[in-house]
Amino acid sequence: MKFQVNRDVFSEAVSFAVKLLPQRTTLPILSGVLIQANADGLVLSSFDYEVSSQTEIQADVEEQGTVLVSGRLLAEIAGRLPNAPVRVATEESRISVSCGSASFTLLSMPVEEYPSIPEIGAQSGVVPAEEFAAAVAQVAVAASRDDVTPVITGVQLEVRENNLSLVATDRYRVAVRELDWDGGTVASEETVTALVPARTLQEVGKTFGHSGTISVSITSRDDRELIAFSAEKKTVTSLLIKGNFPPVRRLFPETVENYAVVNTAELIEATRRVALVLEREAALRYSFTTDGLTLEAIGSEQAQASESIDAILTGDDTVVSLKPQFLLDGLGAVHSEFVRVSFTKTENPNKPGPVLITSQSSREQAGADSYRYLLQPNLLLR
Amino acid sequence: MSKQDGSSRQVTTGPVDDSATPILHVDMDAFFVSVELLKRPDLRGKPVLVGGTAGRGVVSAASYEARRYGVNSAMPMSLALQRCPNAVVLRGDYTSYAEYSRRVMTIFEEVTPLVEKLSIDEAFLDVSGARRLHGSPAEIAWTLRQRVHRETGLTCSVGVAATKFVAKVASSRSKPDGMLVVPADRTLEFLHPLPVSALWGVGRVTEESLTRIGLRTVGDVAAMPAEALERALGPALAAKLSHLAMGVDARDVVTGREEKSIGHEVTFGYDLTDLEQLRRELLRLSDDVAVRLRRAGLVGRTVVLKLRYGDFRTVTRSRTLGEPTDVARRIYDEASAALGELAGDGARIRLIGVRAEQLRPSGSGAMLWDPDEEWREAERTIDEVTARFGRGSVRPAALVRPSAARVESTRRKNASGGGATP
Repeated sequence: MKFQVNRDVFSEAVSFAVKLLPQRTTLPILSGVLIQANADGLVLSSFDYEVSSQTEIQADVEEQGTVLVSGRLLAEIAGRLPNAPVRVATEESRISVSCGSASFTLLSMPVEEYPSIPEIGAQSGVVPAEEFAAAVAQVAVAASRDDVTPVITGVQLEVRENNLSLVATDRYRVAVRELDWDGGTVASEETVTALVPARTLQEVGKTFGHSGTISVSITSRDDRELIAFSAEKKTVTSLLIKGNFPPVRRLFPETVENYAVVNTAELIEATRRVALVLEREAALRYSFTTDGLTLEAIGSEQAQASESIDAILTGDDTVVSLKPQFLLDGLGAVHSEFVRVSFTKTENPNKPGPVLITSQSSREQAGADSYRYLLQPNLLLR
Repeated sequence: MSKQDGSSRQVTTGPVDDSATPILHVDMDAFFVSVELLKRPDLRGKPVLVGGTAGRGVVSAASYEARRYGVNSAMPMSLALQRCPNAVVLRGDYTSYAEYSRRVMTIFEEVTPLVEKLSIDEAFLDVSGARRLHGSPAEIAWTLRQRVHRETGLTCSVGVAATKFVAKVASSRSKPDGMLVVPADRTLEFLHPLPVSALWGVGRVTEESLTRIGLRTVGDVAAMPAEALERALGPALAAKLSHLAMGVDARDVVTGREEKSIGHEVTFGYDLTDLEQLRRELLRLSDDVAVRLRRAGLVGRTVVLKLRYGDFRTVTRSRTLGEPTDVARRIYDEASAALGELAGDGARIRLIGVRAEQLRPSGSGAMLWDPDEEWREAERTIDEVTARFGRGSVRPAALVRPSAARVESTRRKNASGGGATP
């Protein structure tokens, strides 16, 4: 195998192929990146039985062939090469990489033992890339990072006619975002769901955010359910998480009469300030009245803090106790100048109902309801 | 510091504002002497000293009667006997002191896990998390004193304040057999009239330095410009003392133990093989663990099952939960599933135990939905019934029949530094 390739193109492709590789792997060969040189150019891939990345780039191929080299090492080398064409060739059991006056020799790993990259099924639909990336970022914050309960470490994708919803929860909050889905002519009435590991989906969002549109395909073959995202000759596949996502949509209230509208940036700033004196895991007290909103950090002996900001309240005066980081995650995701904080009630008078965060385009006007963030307040301690 | 004979005693009797005073300092009254008096009630009301009499023996403890003669602990016994010639001197019995200390500390730990043992006879408690279960700090202090007296026959004094330093001063002012609550907003009023020696870190030498620049009371120190104090004492001590004099003491109550667990286990009189019988024991133990978790305001993230087989082989299995729990049913379900993997098929079981690990305060994160909610409500109701009618008035049906095999039950609340988890 022998080829020459543009440095920037090569570096970008290697870094994409390596990005989703796990930090540690039980099988050394899975830490490799597979380079196939054929008449049309190069195909770079990685696969760890869960997630695969694959990309095609142009190159001058002198001699076709396939090699497997350590992914992270190659990515680091490719990222630091001088500005000159990169020449790669096999030399017996080694691979030489040279660029300008720099040259490297890498160990080649056995290609025969490398698993075959999963095939992608037919396209299920298309989403606008930028909106999808934004949606993933908005929702994935609420996903659990705790592997004890795998189902909630994922983001649930639900396709219904021309709509795609992303849902994530860690039991303390739920985030939902709706966006347009172009299912083409095969738009089915049936809901299709896919539970995708949040980490993978976040990488997909970051990588494909500027790609125009992303093609999505959800397939089930040999008892293995797979989702693939493709754009601009790059493809990421991921196995789906098995199990049933909890029915969290029913936690959202249908209507809420009691709510307050606050300037989002002001609420974020005030929360960050007042939270400075809080101990870890502690909650802030938010008191909404017709005079505005008062934030108080109490319960610590050493320091207290409070701050008041403007708020327009509809309905009853309400006090809720919220974990600042959980609220900030929601506020950071609404992407609107104002935010509506809605209060719900439960049958149990001692248990506060969840608080709903939605966008508000102005003080008076509710925003498009495409993003909703539901948060469970703590019990109020007297 | 203040005289130790109780003559300048200050105690709280009526209702006070204890809303911002979660720190308790509990100090046993003349601990060693009091333990001795349990064995020798005939000496009550007499001057009693505990300590060595030979040669350079010193006083380990003195009864309040003896202290009126000017006897203090750490004083040479010969001097003490000069001042109080008719004192009865007893040799110390440290094994029984340690045993009483353990019993007293266990009572503290049933109120809050945040117990910092300072020595064999005193401890700091942070009860900020215990309010909902046990009441306000002053109520807790009152209950503790009652329980210690009822369960050990000993008396203690409790200082209740916003910080450790003030709580400790308060307990010493309330001695013996008293309690003193210093409301947070009256801290300075309480501290400032005290002599400088009441400040932590002020020994004889520092006291002299302070007296030399005319500072006799804590209030004098507080009023002193920082530069002047620094010149007299050096920057480190000056900063520390001026903080203390203003009632500022940032130290938290530290338990000195990284991680804790709450567990119960039982050794059977004869080895059990019947899985049903084992499960019943497990249910009872899980219930005990959950009751203690709830009482302490804690939830556990990991459930550990411990089994000892007839041949003394001991195994443990731990299971980590998705969300921490204080519900017996949940603890039982996890432990019981683990039991199914280890017992049965005629395996002879000598001991079974269950414990909750990775403890944290409950209520620190409320969930949108809670798989244990119904059980939790039921068990909380049982807690309330138990509080009114006593333990055992409501139990799971499977436990109504007493277990014959049960001979010895040990409670443990232990440090669990890794260890036997596979």
